[in-house]
Amino acid sequence: MAEVVVDTPVPPRSTVGDESRDWRKALTGVGLLAPAIVIAIIFSIIPLIYLINVSLTRESTFFFNNPQYTFDNYRLIWNRYLPHVWTTIRLATLASLFCLIFGYPFAYILVRKVQYRDLVRILMTFPLFGPLYLTYGIRFVFGVNGPLAPLFDFIGVDSRTLLFAYPEQMTIFGMAVFTFPFMVMNVVAALTNVDPTLEEAARTLGSRPWQVFTRVLFPLSWPGVLAGFLICFGWNLGVFIVPMLLGNIEQQRVLSLALYQKAMSQFDYGLGSAMGVVLMLLAFTVTWLSLRFSRGALAT
Amino acid sequence: MSETTAIGGPSRFRSSGRWLTSGLQHAYIWLWMALFVLPFLTTVYRSLEDPKGGYSFEGYRFAFGSFQDALILSLQTTIVTIVLNILISIPAAYAIVRYPIPGKRTILAALNVSLYTPGAVMGLSLSLLFAYRLSSIQGSFWALVAAYVVGTFPLMLIPVIVALRDLPTVFGEAARTLGAGRWRTLLRVEIPLLGPGITAGILLTFVIVFNEFLVTLFIAGKGNQTAALTIYNILARAGFAPSTAALASIMQFTSFVVVLLFFKVFGSRYLKGTYLG
Repeated sequence: MAEVVVDTPVPPRSTVGDESRDWRKALTGVGLLAPAIVIAIIFSIIPLIYLINVSLTRESTFFFNNPQYTFDNYRLIWNRYLPHVWTTIRLATLASLFCLIFGYPFAYILVRKVQYRDLVRILMTFPLFGPLYLTYGIRFVFGVNGPLAPLFDFIGVDSRTLLFAYPEQMTIFGMAVFTFPFMVMNVVAALTNVDPTLEEAARTLGSRPWQVFTRVLFPLSWPGVLAGFLICFGWNLGVFIVPMLLGNIEQQRVLSLALYQKAMSQFDYGLGSAMGVVLMLLAFTVTWLSLRFSRGALAT
Repeated sequence: MSETTAIGGPSRFRSSGRWLTSGLQHAYIWLWMALFVLPFLTTVYRSLEDPKGGYSFEGYRFAFGSFQDALILSLQTTIVTIVLNILISIPAAYAIVRYPIPGKRTILAALNVSLYTPGAVMGLSLSLLFAYRLSSIQGSFWALVAAYVVGTFPLMLIPVIVALRDLPTVFGEAARTLGAGRWRTLLRVEIPLLGPGITAGILLTFVIVFNEFLVTLFIAGKGNQTAALTIYNILARAGFAPSTAALASIMQFTSFVVVLLFFKVFGSRYLKGTYLG
């Protein structure tokens, strides 16, 4: 997921006849790359071309002898499924903001104060095992008789109805816990490069803590923050299982779920593919932005 | 976040304030660590509950009994994917780092497209491909492996590229000067030096493929349900059950043990710049 900056070795240009050797070397290189390229073309690029193609046909006519080409699927998305697009973007934005607001302090403390960093890193892999188990577990944690039930009863929240009373908050929380490690890693990478003496200098010169943050820390770490935000956003755009298990009808209007229902349950491949194309465009825009801003130095 | 030092203030007040901030900071870290682990621990706890009351290993007996095929399939697909990823990524990394190829950035971007495609989009587009052109492998073991390989080989490629870039060419040159052949140099000198990068790739592939369910949901055939997909399917149809909780516990526990082993043997430095940072 990292964009890797590649140093091209400088080809020797001293003697005559190097040109043909360069050619041969380039050919060997292409040969070595061939399996990777073939796999990527067959199983990644061509399927996406099919997806675009199918999105321009009516229902499942693509698979019959005379596919009916039409823009109706996109018109339908524009007229009826725009709320799905907005819900996808809204949930992704809110979850990524949650990650940013809670992840920045986390990363700061981790970099500056914590000695047991490896323990944190190891425990942080649990959300990375995937949103399926995570959401499944969160259902138990906040469900009836969950481990936090006494706590919620103590602060006056009814733990028995917690899951159903706050579907939006629960969904955003579930998405945020899954992407939290991505945010933390990016901010940690950025903060590690910020010299702590700069903060001390600012403090000695009379800055208040929040001024140290707004004038020194944040400006120096914002590329990492932005990269982290966009990566979280990209992951959250494809959210599928979290709203399914934690949200209600309102949150389940996300593109991934809708395209699954349309294509795989109702066999309306045209509409499902069109939703897929919209989702793909959103995701690629976000990826392009994050690669631009992170300048290849920071990684997912 | 950072403590204020009130200049000239009473020193006892100052140090107790510092203790308090420091304590709060550590409490914040531990709160999040609890949040990371709590879903897993609660799942384990629920998996031990017997529907009839009390506690039992019934869920695990069920998981290792009825879901045995699914667990084996998950392991098989993961291992085959790892092997194929290694075979594809090492030559590709060599080509990208050591060979003058035109349009390197574009090629690398094209190879990474699958990483940036949302799971549902990838699943749907692959299911279209298998239905329309590759019906011979539709729903089969190899369809799953193909999807996993294309989705994860960039995760192997990146650590190997990073390791290869950090590896000075002098080792290989020295071996060649001392009379080792091209293949011998590669197998005895360079690949062992790349080991940690390759291992990082193996870890990433394992964690993702072993737990993947979304792409699998779109392309798996009737007889090819991986363990993660089994959890999803039962969840979608029948809701929560101790047997799926047991299966989810087993999957997470296995993944965690693999991660722990990796950290124990290699430390975290070879994961820099990758998904597990």
